[in-house]
Amino acid sequence: MKKKNGLIQKIILSTIGHEKRQTYMIPVFSILISLIVGAVVIAFLGKNPFLAYYNLLQGSGLAPKASYAGYKGIITDFASFLNALTPMLFAALSVIIALKAGLFNIGVSGQMLAAGFTATILIGYSVLPAAVAKPLVVVIGFVMGALVGALVGYFKHKFNINEVVSTIMLNYIIQYIVSFFINTFYVDPVSRQSKTVGAAGRLTLTDVVIGSYKMDIPLGILLAAAGIVVTAFLLKKTTLGFEIKAVGSSVRAAEYAGIRVGRTRVLAMMLSGGFAGLAGVTYYVGYFASIQPRVLAGTGYDAIAVALLGNSSPVGIVFSSFLITVISKGSTYMSSASGVQPEIASAITGVVLLFSACGAFVKYKVDRWKEER
Amino acid sequence: MNTIIIDGLSFALPLFIMAIGGIYCERSGITNLAIEGLQGFGAFCGALFAVSIAGSFAGNSPVPFYLAMVFAFLGGMLFSLIHALLCIRFKANQVISGVVINILAMALTEFLTKQINASIFGAASNKFVLGVSARLTVPVISKIPLLGAVFTNLYPFELVIVLIAFLAWFVLYKTRFGLHLRACGDNPHAVDAAGIRVGRVRLIAVMASGALSGLGGICFAYSISANFSSNIYSGYGYLAIAALIFGNWKIMPTLGACLLFGFARSAGYELVKVLGMPSTYQDLVMLLPYVLTLLMLIFFSKKNHAPRALGEIYDKGAR
Repeated sequence: MKKKNGLIQKIILSTIGHEKRQTYMIPVFSILISLIVGAVVIAFLGKNPFLAYYNLLQGSGLAPKASYAGYKGIITDFASFLNALTPMLFAALSVIIALKAGLFNIGVSGQMLAAGFTATILIGYSVLPAAVAKPLVVVIGFVMGALVGALVGYFKHKFNINEVVSTIMLNYIIQYIVSFFINTFYVDPVSRQSKTVGAAGRLTLTDVVIGSYKMDIPLGILLAAAGIVVTAFLLKKTTLGFEIKAVGSSVRAAEYAGIRVGRTRVLAMMLSGGFAGLAGVTYYVGYFASIQPRVLAGTGYDAIAVALLGNSSPVGIVFSSFLITVISKGSTYMSSASGVQPEIASAITGVVLLFSACGAFVKYKVDRWKEER
Repeated sequence: MNTIIIDGLSFALPLFIMAIGGIYCERSGITNLAIEGLQGFGAFCGALFAVSIAGSFAGNSPVPFYLAMVFAFLGGMLFSLIHALLCIRFKANQVISGVVINILAMALTEFLTKQINASIFGAASNKFVLGVSARLTVPVISKIPLLGAVFTNLYPFELVIVLIAFLAWFVLYKTRFGLHLRACGDNPHAVDAAGIRVGRVRLIAVMASGALSGLGGICFAYSISANFSSNIYSGYGYLAIAALIFGNWKIMPTLGACLLFGFARSAGYELVKVLGMPSTYQDLVMLLPYVLTLLMLIFFSKKNHAPRALGEIYDKGAR
């Protein structure tokens, strides 16, 4: 057994054996394996996997398509891609802040919906001028998300309720409440969705003409970039960041060091919810302008893959959210161009997640091999 | 009143069997948040099998239904091996593993359903249509007022579930293996010292959990939705988890929790109908079980005693 594995061991050790490189080599390995698995499935279906993957890039505006409609070009697709990327970045930030505190926020989708819906009815339907409306949407989004997050943190601290269960329950509760209000008060009879919000409050500028192209420019992407910097600073340089990480690594040690665990957890969940809220407004009052009742955005779940893949580091998620968004955004074009079902995108994301979850084991195994040598 | 009992039971019992699976898994020390994904994957396997053999049986033959149950059982068990592999062999974080399995199951079954429909059955559809299983009424007993409703319009799966639930109860509390399993969740080192392999016991527990979850999933597919589609992921698995926490990781109290969920749900629907409210109010009824879950967790989480080694990775060398 050992002899047979000698060569593979050597290859693996030389690529991901190095301690420093492990942080990004293991995710890269997970992605490669997942893409290969996806390619095998696509080939098995009788389609060309390389073409299909190229379609993903084309759909995301990273490679030119064969033909474009009037006013459309690669830049239009790329702007649309950025529109999808913005909520993903926020959602991933939300997941990693919670993860650092040892909490698993899988209620990002629900928090997004709560924030998006509140911002929609309070500001989206109002007649406020854009200069007032846009900042208000951002603030309301953050506050609403933070409130839901704080509730989850409080439940965990006060009643010892597993945050996974409580966030999922809240997901359903929010989903049905919002659906009830939309269907009763705000429904658009034609689209069966909520009425579209006014352009003033929307965080995406639509149909901006630049040169000979029309595109949708997401203002939130700047905010997301700021969010990444703030999060990195918070976790690396501030006391709160240190406390969050301490609680996440060992509750007992944190307690012993005099850190108030409950307070830290609630704060971490609040921040996490706040970012989820920002994801919500950039999604529902930006990328889209209406809410479909009884449907949760897949972004919240994809963000978990993004966070795990990005080693739950604010810099890492820039790369991983880019990748996951290419897969999910490009899948529509892939299905029309190559005839592969678009659902394969989330299946690939799922496989990526699966391999990322094995990361700790790979690291452990590689370290063992190194000791043996 | 009778409708409330009939519908409540048909919702509570599949939930109960999934919760029993969860109890097995968690009593052995493995956190199981994967029930949602396991029930979906199990239901997918069962539904796929039922749809593919449906042509060779008469329209109202119950055979595909029973075979679907068997395959859902096996499918859930198969998928749970991933959880076992990640948690026992790979020593991964059990919470993360559970969530990963849920997401993977959701994505995979959605993709496969659409792909199989398109390439094998030649239809662009995202569901397998199953129909509702036949119902049966026990002749004499069902005439008893109120109590009789329990024996009226039963889905056949309810009887199967009661049988399996009894068996599961017996194994967990009355056999040597059940004792080992419960000990694994409280003090795995003692179990190891007694010469029993902790990993093996846990593997069996996880597989049992997967199988029972799959069974619960196919029951939902055959009763509430009458098809298999992504609608199967409506949080039943999480309700089952809430039920078992509420039931303090014991089988009989968990049954009570499941019944409460079932009756709250059917009573809510009945209320909307009786009061003649518009259909949008159904959304408010749909949230009842979830709100109830949260409330119950608030009141009972603190008093409850989870298995002591729950969620901890078993490390032989640790002290």
